[in-house]
Amino acid sequence: MRYLIKNGTIIDPANRVATIGDILVANGKVERLYDLADLHNDREPPGPDVEVINARGCVVAPGFTDLHTHLRQPGEEHKETIASVCAAATIGGFTTLCARPTTRPTPDNPATIRQLRELADRFGTVRIDLIGALTIGNEGRMLSEMRELAEAGCIAFSDGGRTIADTALMRNALAYAAALNLPVMVSCQDPYLAAGGIAHEGAVSIRLGLPGIPAAAEEAIVARDIALAEATGAHLHISRVSTAGSVALIRAARARGVRVTAEVTPHHLTLTDRWLLGWLEERNELETGRPGAHPDLSLPSWLNPALLPPYDSNTRVEPPLRSIEHVEALIEGLREGVIDAIAVDHAPQALVDRECEYGLAPPGISGLETALALTLTLVHRGEMDIVNLIAKLTEGPAQVLNRSPANLRPGATADIVIFDPERTWVVEPEHFASQGRNTPLRGQRLKGQVMLTMAAGKIVFRRENFGRQTQAAPQPSRLEGIFETE
Amino acid sequence: MTKLRRHVIDLDDFSATEIEEILETTESMREVLGREIKQVPALRGKTVVNMFFEESTRTRISFELAARALSANVVAFTARGSSVEKGESLVDTVRTLQALGADIIVMRHSQSGAPYLVARYFRGALINAGDGRHAHPTQALLDLYTIRSRFGQIRDLNVVIVGDVLHSRVARSNLWGLTRLGARVTLCGPPTLIGPAAFWTATWPTVRICHELDPLLPEADVVMALRLQKERMQSGLLPALREYTRIYGLTAERLDRLPKHAIVMHPGPMNEGIEIFPEVATAPAAVIETQVTNGVAVRMALLYRMAG
Repeated sequence: MRYLIKNGTIIDPANRVATIGDILVANGKVERLYDLADLHNDREPPGPDVEVINARGCVVAPGFTDLHTHLRQPGEEHKETIASVCAAATIGGFTTLCARPTTRPTPDNPATIRQLRELADRFGTVRIDLIGALTIGNEGRMLSEMRELAEAGCIAFSDGGRTIADTALMRNALAYAAALNLPVMVSCQDPYLAAGGIAHEGAVSIRLGLPGIPAAAEEAIVARDIALAEATGAHLHISRVSTAGSVALIRAARARGVRVTAEVTPHHLTLTDRWLLGWLEERNELETGRPGAHPDLSLPSWLNPALLPPYDSNTRVEPPLRSIEHVEALIEGLREGVIDAIAVDHAPQALVDRECEYGLAPPGISGLETALALTLTLVHRGEMDIVNLIAKLTEGPAQVLNRSPANLRPGATADIVIFDPERTWVVEPEHFASQGRNTPLRGQRLKGQVMLTMAAGKIVFRRENFGRQTQAAPQPSRLEGIFETE
Repeated sequence: MTKLRRHVIDLDDFSATEIEEILETTESMREVLGREIKQVPALRGKTVVNMFFEESTRTRISFELAARALSANVVAFTARGSSVEKGESLVDTVRTLQALGADIIVMRHSQSGAPYLVARYFRGALINAGDGRHAHPTQALLDLYTIRSRFGQIRDLNVVIVGDVLHSRVARSNLWGLTRLGARVTLCGPPTLIGPAAFWTATWPTVRICHELDPLLPEADVVMALRLQKERMQSGLLPALREYTRIYGLTAERLDRLPKHAIVMHPGPMNEGIEIFPEVATAPAAVIETQVTNGVAVRMALLYRMAG
């Protein structure tokens, strides 16, 4: 099947392309890209075997890559399966998922990786890359067989959400990985400083009486791991950066040439710890007359934490949602390139485990289906341009993985997402394709929705009848104001 | 009278007027408790379930006496030996109590915020009898009542809360109540048991933080000592009990430095010889037993108002 994606706003950050134009897809590859200049030239009409997809008013971009997905299968199929996570990915516009080694049994040996590969190939509808465990059982005591894992196809190493407490072991892990030229992806949280912690340590945790996790718990380990990466020459990738101090440390390290990359999640970029207050927040504002949460930019007016009850376990994530000054530093870091990529940290949980006391709920957000719309709030608020945002979902992750980025150049694999940046929708977790309904965004009205996703030239998701010729009534572009060309 | 409320989870949503009204009702309940027959039929036919997931003697008994004085049927539910030990979730427990016909649940739980979860599933009325570090509204109300009985009003009083403020639900609920009624509150204790001042002033803008007790004494109208959990030493928050006692313990010498009219309070149970000394606890300035007595009347007042 061949497809002609017509009249879309093509944004291909890797090729520095941003234009209105058409894309011809054939045999799973991008065959041709027609930009504005070509529109005036006569073109052969598309043949009968070409389906025309009308993308007017929509952005056409390379498919997104998520550096941080928890598959759950095998081991926790009641939370998510490879089939359901792929369905969620395609609805979210993702065509590549990097699976963290948190499935059970732990993929810390080549045999488990090969099993996982087989499952992913059998049930996956998008590309799934595997990350091997850094230590046996993610326990931080013995290194896994990293070379054999690499030979079995692992693209990186990680211990999931755990920090290796033993600094000597961490040094060895980095030194070993350096020889394999693969990134070590770390989640940074000092286990002693964060012990027993539930919420970001600050005004909200004090008010709610929740044990705090100080920003320094993250920053101490970020500083340590940067020092070790500098000493070993390894490629350190810092997962889900959440504090202003971490951004500053990474910025300084990159400036002196340390091989360090970083990612941030959509929720850490947009939500603050005040979401834990839920409707207590609104009451505060009513009573004191003070603007409670968000004095300046902080939240787009259309996101409303007061839709949640106080202590909603859906706001529990690792690292915890931070206060506004951290959120602002993360946005700044992303914008200027200190943070390379937006990574979802898609962590589906079963409802039965979440309907409980805040301190007992397992952390995580099921985020693949809301990632684009949530991060687009940055664009709609004028804090980031849309080309840069798309780069953080495409080019950035590729750089972290040291591979050539997904792009729309002729000959490239046709991993393509088409989304309408202005379309509003209401988050209804019960209609998620993901089995994980754990999201703090229930009932929120978001702006921006994926209309069609193509993986290797096949349509893997299509919203309703999107792009079919019959409804191709011409309409003015709705991109004005949010789309700036250079 | 202000609108009757369904749940009492914290004092954060109580206006000064509503607190005053409850303290007035408490006055009437004191009168009931002074009678020959300490019982009125206000809650006849209603079922009050005391759902305690955490050890407590005085609060549980206080609620039980209060509910009985209002002629309610009182059922005690303790986590030990119950379905909770068999792994039943909090939500299921509440659904079960609901099905059994509970009208009012009084709950104590070790997790901050647990009452908000219960309130989502329980159609009756809920009173929080202490949740984690978060809130203990009935303790704060009985403290307010005790202070007001002594001073006539609360506005402009200097109240010093001394001790392990960080882990204290009593301190938090008292902060809501005291600041709403216009008291000047100072939190006093070692930095490890309070944390940065800005974390507190963000929610309670008038509160002051001080790490020395002695300079505060001459100006204090009320000194409230908090219980110091022994585990705090193990987790490295304090070097030694001896040092704590030397700086923050309510000794007889410190009592002497308080103004003549000042009172000393403690939510109990006390660690005598650590945060408070026996000769202080039994001095005329100490109102610790009065607090306990007032506790029953305050809880009666709340139950009475919630029963409509």
